[in-house]
Amino acid sequence: MSETNSDRQRRGDRESAFYLFTQQRLPACKPVLTPPWVITIYFLVGFIFVPVGLFTLRASHSVVEIEERYDIECVPSQFRNDKVSYIQDDSVPKNCSLLFKVDKYMKAPIYIYYQLENYYQNHRRYVRSRSDQQLLHGRNFHGTSYCQPLESSNNRPIVPCGLIAWSLFNDTFTFIRGKALLKVNRTNIAWKSDRDHKFGKNVYPFNFQNGTWIGGGKLNPRIPLSNQEDLIVWMRISALPSFRKLYGRIEEDLDVGDYVVVQLMNDYNTYSFGGKKKLVLSTSNWLGGKNDFLGLAYVFVGSSSLTVAIVFMLLHLRSQR
Amino acid sequence: MKQIAITLELPEIEDLDKHGDKEATAEASLDCVKKQIHDGKSQMGKENSVEFGLIIDGKSLTFAMDNTLVNDFMDLAMGCATVICCRSSLKQKAVITRLVKSVVSRTTLAIGDGANDVGMLQEADIGVGISGVEGMRAVMASDFAIAQFRFLERLLLVHGHWCYRRISMMICYFFYKNITFGFTLFWFEAYTSFSGQPAYNDWYMSSYNVFFTSLPVIALGVFDHDVSARLCMKYPLLYQEGVQNLLFNWVLILGWMFNGLLSSIIIYLLTANSITGQAFRKDGQVADYSILGVTMYTCVVWTVNCQMALSINYFTWIQHLFIWGSIALWYIFLVVYGSIPSTLSTTAYKVLVEACAPSILYWLTTLLVISALLPLLSYRAFQIRFRPMEHDRIQIQRRRSESLERDVAQSRLSESSETRNSSDLPAEVRIRIDSLKASSRRKNS
Repeated sequence: MSETNSDRQRRGDRESAFYLFTQQRLPACKPVLTPPWVITIYFLVGFIFVPVGLFTLRASHSVVEIEERYDIECVPSQFRNDKVSYIQDDSVPKNCSLLFKVDKYMKAPIYIYYQLENYYQNHRRYVRSRSDQQLLHGRNFHGTSYCQPLESSNNRPIVPCGLIAWSLFNDTFTFIRGKALLKVNRTNIAWKSDRDHKFGKNVYPFNFQNGTWIGGGKLNPRIPLSNQEDLIVWMRISALPSFRKLYGRIEEDLDVGDYVVVQLMNDYNTYSFGGKKKLVLSTSNWLGGKNDFLGLAYVFVGSSSLTVAIVFMLLHLRSQR
Repeated sequence: MKQIAITLELPEIEDLDKHGDKEATAEASLDCVKKQIHDGKSQMGKENSVEFGLIIDGKSLTFAMDNTLVNDFMDLAMGCATVICCRSSLKQKAVITRLVKSVVSRTTLAIGDGANDVGMLQEADIGVGISGVEGMRAVMASDFAIAQFRFLERLLLVHGHWCYRRISMMICYFFYKNITFGFTLFWFEAYTSFSGQPAYNDWYMSSYNVFFTSLPVIALGVFDHDVSARLCMKYPLLYQEGVQNLLFNWVLILGWMFNGLLSSIIIYLLTANSITGQAFRKDGQVADYSILGVTMYTCVVWTVNCQMALSINYFTWIQHLFIWGSIALWYIFLVVYGSIPSTLSTTAYKVLVEACAPSILYWLTTLLVISALLPLLSYRAFQIRFRPMEHDRIQIQRRRSESLERDVAQSRLSESSETRNSSDLPAEVRIRIDSLKASSRRKNS
């Protein structure tokens, strides 16, 4: 029997996209998790993850890192029992020297970090205590209420205001290898977007650390904020209570057996709250710094995936019989 | 099936009626109905392996609803497999429905097409109205409207089953995705000395449930089929999954919540331990608060959407668009939000473009999020293989029959597996159907 025109039109309607959509008859793929698929997926995960993990581990092991804690050692023995009064007493000289022994060849650039522990830069009140508008536009901007109580002192506004800027880290380090001073590059340590767009080129520090309480370092009032890289690095809030921040770069290679003497000024007070200070020298590779965790995680997930695949396959074959 | 008839069309009642004494007629009718009910009950009690059908007409129903008799009548009616109340009025239909609802704590469905069914339709839990010859009055009072009575089968078996599965899956998944998201915030709090600093930028948190995880849920709740319509009609026992509430019990709900907790722990530990601490890029830069937030959030969005992809069984272009599109939308959002001036975007300023995208560690950490999917995948794999539910069996059966059809078509035989009826079901499915039948019969008695 031949189709009439109306039959043909109805069939055409039946195949239109709108009809398929409303009648829920869209072309579909209906995967079912059958045992062959499951075993394939697990083996695939295992065979991809384990090599990636091993590769990542190898990369992490190729990074050389030297770390020294100095906040306890740098306190003279007579002040060991009362470190807080030591750090707050300006008449006590705060210089200290550390010795780094280089065990493996370190290729330039070598990154210098200061590491703080038990320092909650991610505390809510601390994170809030800044004014992005003021950092960009300067002291004429008045929306700085979040910076309380460090908004103004002696009836004059503080630039940059807030707790984050006030607690600027101010230990300084100089590096000497043998008899020569190692040149430390202290530019380009902050994010480019911060330097260009977050900190103003026409904003200068004003009335900074002038009050009764001094929380950290002082700023040169003649350098605009966009060039104060230490401040910019410090004002990038860290994620966890134990963190590192970039101090500078050494552009020379360090050979095996080199001794690097670090002359540092132990100015920053971490003693009132039981914090730790460490100095870290580290190289970097395509992955970043030294961290075995990701590699181990990949290897672990990959190998447990292979184990599950084998167990599943055995159980499947056994119960099929 | 044996019949029990309760009727007042007996000679003695009609005699009394002719004499016109209303009171005596009523009393005699009541006694007559009472006797018939008791006879019926004793008959049922004697033979309990036989199924009974009760037939009662409108006049007898008035007396059966009497306060003294109604409990006996309901006992008799509930013990029968079918009850026919013929020639009943609108009010009686509604009263019967209400009685059934109160005596048996089950869901009642009423179907009707005329104005005299309106009371019943509104009284029942689900009212199905048939539009047609008798007008639209039933349709206007109903919850569902169909055009012909025979569509009821499709309404129940296909759409009823689909809706049950969709709603239960959707609710469980909703709990899962919000628990995953919320607990990552909670684990981060432990490292901020519980000061209340959220791990993510405010706008990320506001748009989580709106932009990045809402569309896949809609795809699940509106479009998902676990078993096709044809197979739903072919295996009506699938409907028992809904009746016995196998897909939405406490074990499943708590299981999904536990899955959310596990996912959040895995995501938090992975990102916090791999990204923070050392430099995360070749140029020696260290990951700060905003980068940890972005990495964790990326992992959460990937995990939650891939869990959706693992849970649904039906992929059309809509599901693909919604699931992968939501993930892509997150990256687009980061780029767009990150290009707004930093006084508005605060911690998100250029975070993907400048900080995260050039970092290989960021992408490797996102890839490792697959490990958060493995628990559910393992559970589903083992469950489907060793303890399959009804719809799992049917899906596997369909898969096998599809490959069989392909082999048959390839070897050009005329026999097709479409002509199988339920006696050709494999032994396991038959055993399962029998056990379901037995358990439903046990529940009814």
